[in-house]
Amino acid sequence: MLELGLPEIALSPEERKRVVETLGREPTPVEWFAFDAQWSEHCSYKSSRRFLRNLPTSGERVILGPGEDAGVVRLGDYNGESYAIVVAHESHNHPSQVVPFEGAATGIGGIVRDVLCMGAEVIGVADPLRFGTSAWAGFIAQGVVDGIAAYGNAIGVPNVGGDVAFDPRFDDNVLVNVVALGLVKERDLIHSRAPRGSAGWDIVLVGKATDRSGFGGASFSSLQLDAQDAEANKGAVQVPDAFLKSVIMRASYRVFELLRREAIVAGFKDLGAGGVMGCTAELVASGGYGARIDLDNVPVTDRDLPAPVIAVGETQERLCWIVPPAFTPRLLEVYNEEFGLPRVARGAGATPIGKVIAEPRYVLSHRGSVVMDVPTDFLCGGIAYERPYELPSRHEGEAVSRDVDLHALLPKVLAHLDVCSRAPIFERYDGVVRGTTAIPRGYADAGVLVPIPGSPLAVALAVAGNPRLGAIDPYAAAVAAVVEAARNVAAVGARPVALTDCLNFGDADQPRQFGEFVAAVDGLAEAATALETPFVSGNVSLYNTSAGGNAVPASPIVACVGVLENVANVVTPALRERGSALYLIGPRSDALGGSVAGSFFGAENEALPRIDLAEVRAELEFVRAAIDEGLVLAAHDVSDGGVAVALCEMVFASRERTLSARIASHGAWAPQTAECGAWFGESGGIVVEVAAAERFRAFARERGCAIWRLGDVIAGDTLVFGECEFAVESLHDAWSSPLRGFYR
Amino acid sequence: MKPKVVVFVFPGSNSEDETKRALDAVGLDARLVHSDDAEHATADGYVLPGGFAYEDRIRAGAVAAHDRALDVVIDAAEGGKPVLGICNGAQILIESGLVPGTGPIRRPTAAFAPNVPGGRFRCVHTYLRTMQPPERSPLLRGLGEGTLVPAWAAHGEGRLSASLEELERIREGRHIAFVYATSDGETTEGAIPNGSALGVAGLINKKGNVLAVMPHPERDAWTFMHLGAPGASRSDALAPSGGIALFESFARAFSAL
Repeated sequence: MLELGLPEIALSPEERKRVVETLGREPTPVEWFAFDAQWSEHCSYKSSRRFLRNLPTSGERVILGPGEDAGVVRLGDYNGESYAIVVAHESHNHPSQVVPFEGAATGIGGIVRDVLCMGAEVIGVADPLRFGTSAWAGFIAQGVVDGIAAYGNAIGVPNVGGDVAFDPRFDDNVLVNVVALGLVKERDLIHSRAPRGSAGWDIVLVGKATDRSGFGGASFSSLQLDAQDAEANKGAVQVPDAFLKSVIMRASYRVFELLRREAIVAGFKDLGAGGVMGCTAELVASGGYGARIDLDNVPVTDRDLPAPVIAVGETQERLCWIVPPAFTPRLLEVYNEEFGLPRVARGAGATPIGKVIAEPRYVLSHRGSVVMDVPTDFLCGGIAYERPYELPSRHEGEAVSRDVDLHALLPKVLAHLDVCSRAPIFERYDGVVRGTTAIPRGYADAGVLVPIPGSPLAVALAVAGNPRLGAIDPYAAAVAAVVEAARNVAAVGARPVALTDCLNFGDADQPRQFGEFVAAVDGLAEAATALETPFVSGNVSLYNTSAGGNAVPASPIVACVGVLENVANVVTPALRERGSALYLIGPRSDALGGSVAGSFFGAENEALPRIDLAEVRAELEFVRAAIDEGLVLAAHDVSDGGVAVALCEMVFASRERTLSARIASHGAWAPQTAECGAWFGESGGIVVEVAAAERFRAFARERGCAIWRLGDVIAGDTLVFGECEFAVESLHDAWSSPLRGFYR
Repeated sequence: MKPKVVVFVFPGSNSEDETKRALDAVGLDARLVHSDDAEHATADGYVLPGGFAYEDRIRAGAVAAHDRALDVVIDAAEGGKPVLGICNGAQILIESGLVPGTGPIRRPTAAFAPNVPGGRFRCVHTYLRTMQPPERSPLLRGLGEGTLVPAWAAHGEGRLSASLEELERIREGRHIAFVYATSDGETTEGAIPNGSALGVAGLINKKGNVLAVMPHPERDAWTFMHLGAPGASRSDALAPSGGIALFESFARAFSAL
């Protein structure tokens, strides 16, 4: 194997033993690599699956929960058709650390295929990013943003959400998560499995010719990164081709149309981890079938490509269909003639590579001999580990009442890397292509799309995940991530309907680090259950550690999909009317643990704000109802930097209209809390601007929701916080400057 | 009968659907036609949509400018038919020499070059300030000197670049259809998102029937896309408004011809 220049496989000695015993013989090289990929943590969730079962996954809007490439939730009806939103969430952390541009670009490429293969039109992407702070991490961050921009912009999918956090603990392990949304009519949904009665059907590979790139990706992502290995691992990262993908997407939309017209049920799946083998084996296994594939049929760039590379190499921009033989010629015509894939990229196209067989065996041949012949269910089925774990203790700390010098602290908090304007980053992404964007990224707590031309139905998407909390208390970080993602969606007026997660953690072999994962899943389950918002898809990324043992802070990152019946009801944080009133929903707290402001006076490890999930649920329901009633002019969630920052951002968003705010001293709206906790505490909540204050108060009374009057919207360029006055321009400078140097 | 407009789709185009929606909304009969099928695409006017035709190889628009579809567009332009290029479409038109049209066909005299600073893609909201009176061109007849049209700039190569002599010809020959402006209509340095020479956002040919616009008015052409803007009516969020003005003006060219 070394002569072929292939990497060592990552299977443990016990796993190797199990393969040999079950097959009753020494596996072939192709089989070794196949089991290595299928049994990697990345593909099998062998350590994580038993915990993920605890997440709530069903609900009235759920059409398809976790299990296939993406989850599906009901959006609503239009013109007598029921429409659904497809959502997928993944990480591309390891590749992005090694080759940032290609790693991040292929992350977008992969997630887009996950949505596409459900028969959906891809309508939006979002990317939660966690960057380090070293000079090298800055270089990685630039490459990641460039990669996302280059790929996402080219394929013409708007980037509508995402967030960015900076922390030195991400210096050795950048986190690049990606979320994608799709739109599909419910009855046109395509599943990633061989349909019933598909024995004898064709297995058709679509896309780029297989090359040497991306060999060993699945097991690579389940290994910890070592600086010396980084160079050697570069070959494991795939090479993106957004141009080809753009054409493949459009050709696939055409195929969807033909299948619909001819009422054919097909199987469709993207090639990700494990390449041709991983995709086709899972397609047939989930239908209870087997496959017979001739690797000589797979188009390759290099005639001497070894069989294992053809079988499990992760060359990008490939998908696989299972279709009745009578439809195959038409399928090939669409990709190869109508959309001319072979003219777009050398060797690209659609090619039949094998057949579905009734017997549940997975058989690969190469140059006339069988190079793999294993039971499909053994390959794709039950591998599970009960890894030892040590649950981290819940964080305990004291809450300290503090006064604060607002004049000195506010500009510093605004300039903090986790608070300041992200415009230099999100302006790199096309947020409005497709002409369906109501609220682009960066203009509100959630991005909003109006995906069905002619229909007022709208979809909101937001992400959340706070590494400062993750480093202190993984359970609390998970609860907070669910709450903040749902609150972001409610703050634009949408009803949260589904969640996805990407769980980025350290070394699963270390009981303490694995315990962080277990605690976080508990937190996700608790919060999602309380908010009655199910998880419909997700991803686990373990081994985000470097050789020095530096693990990333526990990073449960959550995305929330929301639905609005009518886009006309959308609100943003931008203040709209002079003389209107500002109210706060949600109580304040002195607890500054994990907060941005706390980091300026060493309060990181003090008490964390307590989250009462029943209260949050009532708060979100109330805000959404008030927005629906038309009582709310603007709304913004309270997160990093607390009420002070939320108010500043509302003022900045309305700068063109030169509106500002006059806020009472904290005693008027946070009487139980000291000054610092009131202005900068991160205990959540929402700030709203209302025109008819009397009606709003009555509405809150009826619903039993506590609200506090913060102050008024005023004209001019002075912001008044209690006794302190600020020039809006200078605060805006503090907030908008730090990331201007993102590109050096 | 509605005037028929062909929207050419090249490999890598990505804004054809929303462009068609905007054209249909102003009473035109827009058809998407793949560039390979160009010879069958007879129409009253032509539109080149945004995207990355042929992956922006060599330069944005450079390859598509030599596509057979452009033979059709060039013939139509020379015959006086209305032609509109948006973003990548504008880049194709400048590469084809149709705008500013001061030199021979397919010998570009100016370019939409990589943005300054950094040569990076930027996506920012902007306003097109109309720089010519309605009588200058049938395509601008529905606007008016000084009229503002909201749009999104979303490109990496949109900076007008040419020799000083050519820039002078562009200005003197009244080829500047639009410049970048603030919401107040001010043409400040800060309003230019890409370092474009003379702040140019759109060019028009001598005859006034070929218009190249870098920002996307079709991405701000419906009320739901600017609900926060002063005067936006929430009661009809799905109605065309804002950037649709440019398409309305384009549609009027067909009745004028």
